[in-house]
Amino acid sequence: MNFDFILYLIINTLVVVAISPLFVSLIKKVKAWTQGRQGPSVFQTYFSLIKLLKKEVIYSPNSSWIMQVTPFVTMAAILVAALFVPLVFVPEPIGGIGNIILFLYLLVLARFFMALAGLDAGSSFGGMGSSREMSISSIIEPTTVIVFAALAFVFKTLNIFDMFVLTSGSGLPATPTLILIGISLFIILIVETSRIPVDNPETHLELTMIHEGMVLEQSGRNLALMELSAAVKMTVLMMLLINLMVPFGLATTLTLAGMLIAVIVLVVKGSILAGIIGLFESSMAKKRFFQLPSLFAMAFFFSTLIIIIEVFS
Amino acid sequence: MIETAIVVGIIRILFVGIIITAAYIISTRNLLSVVSVYALQSLTLVCIALALYSLEGSIVLLAIAVVTFISKVIIIPYFIATIQEKIRIKRDIEFHYLSPTSSLLISMALMMVIYMALARIVEGTPVRESLFFFGAVLGISLMLMGMMVTFSRKRAITKVLGFLSMENGVLLFGMFVTELPFIIEFLIIIDLIILVILTTILSVGIDSTLEDYHKRLHRFHLLIEPEEVS
Repeated sequence: MNFDFILYLIINTLVVVAISPLFVSLIKKVKAWTQGRQGPSVFQTYFSLIKLLKKEVIYSPNSSWIMQVTPFVTMAAILVAALFVPLVFVPEPIGGIGNIILFLYLLVLARFFMALAGLDAGSSFGGMGSSREMSISSIIEPTTVIVFAALAFVFKTLNIFDMFVLTSGSGLPATPTLILIGISLFIILIVETSRIPVDNPETHLELTMIHEGMVLEQSGRNLALMELSAAVKMTVLMMLLINLMVPFGLATTLTLAGMLIAVIVLVVKGSILAGIIGLFESSMAKKRFFQLPSLFAMAFFFSTLIIIIEVFS
Repeated sequence: MIETAIVVGIIRILFVGIIITAAYIISTRNLLSVVSVYALQSLTLVCIALALYSLEGSIVLLAIAVVTFISKVIIIPYFIATIQEKIRIKRDIEFHYLSPTSSLLISMALMMVIYMALARIVEGTPVRESLFFFGAVLGISLMLMGMMVTFSRKRAITKVLGFLSMENGVLLFGMFVTELPFIIEFLIIIDLIILVILTTILSVGIDSTLEDYHKRLHRFHLLIEPEEVS
């Protein structure tokens, strides 16, 4: 492990933690605008997180150690997963870092503990949220695997770092296969982060909540960790999509100027994507639970098509 | 003259556009957007025809582009959109035989079968590697996907749209594979048929399933069946 890589670990983690609340509030802002409201400030998520961090933690008397461990396990798993997606510059991959299969497993680990914590406190809302989350993830999981398999087929590598080097080296903004992969990844992004056609992140209504149901029993700094991990997860998936589709600006060597430019470009690109997500959410209503497979089928269709094209031609 | 490689790249991206619109038409339940997506699909076809024209310089392609643009991007979507405003149906949630999800999965299998079948036919010829092979595959798949829309939807208006998108598949196949003048004649005939269907529908009303439609034909004395022997 060399100096560059350690620096990468530190910078990447700091950047992702610093910018992810911004994107969350940006999406909220765009949604407010489309509804004709002013909306909260773009720094509101930072303020809420700081407020939550100062508050005390209360555990339900029925809960076990799962409840105490979950926020840390979730945050740790998501932060390690965040290391797999270079945000500012792409170093030489070391060990298993950057492996696409491990990346998926880390996301699933976080989700597993979140579902356990939902069940742990014994409240009916949490149980319902966990049950819904698990049924959705059992449907979306094959699609996710197929989409990432298509990625691996297109780039002929299992390492995300190598994929980024390839796309930023080619300079082409988007080839036909990448457009299809982009759509599939966008659907995955929407589903994995529980956004509108799947789940409404803004309500605490019994009928609809999935993600919110699971974190209902969390309080204080544990809640802050859960919210932050959700934001980081969203940012990581967004960056995966962005850096594959429009790799412009990503530094491949370690220079101060290059990194500064990369951070600025990153924030701009991320904000644009956040705007797109906000518009997408505003343009449609939440789907009925049993209609969700048609959304996944779209992603499945496109990525299988890519695999067919790649295998046969 | 534009560079060949760039044009080929553009055509490939347009292919992707056609796949996306076809998948959307097959799986959506929102009637309003189906029409605009159909218009978009036709527009993509126009762009492909223009790109091919810049490659080959055949004047027929230009003619196809113009005819398609006028009929399928402007006139037909306009007609259907006006009808929709009148009948105030916004969603199509009734399906025969297949749900949207399963028809999407089946169309995937269809595409694969067509790909393999055509690959076996043209194996060894120079066509195998080219754009034209892929265009042919896409054309036939689009045709079959349109067919699937036609038989899996209950509303008459979506049936017509499925038929129209099927015809787009024929056009795509024609542009890439067969002789062109014949295909233009074929096109015009099909367009006439569509116009006839549209006008019947306009006069009788399409806010109904086909069974319902039959009853209306009776009511307006447009269809007289032989009287039953009592």
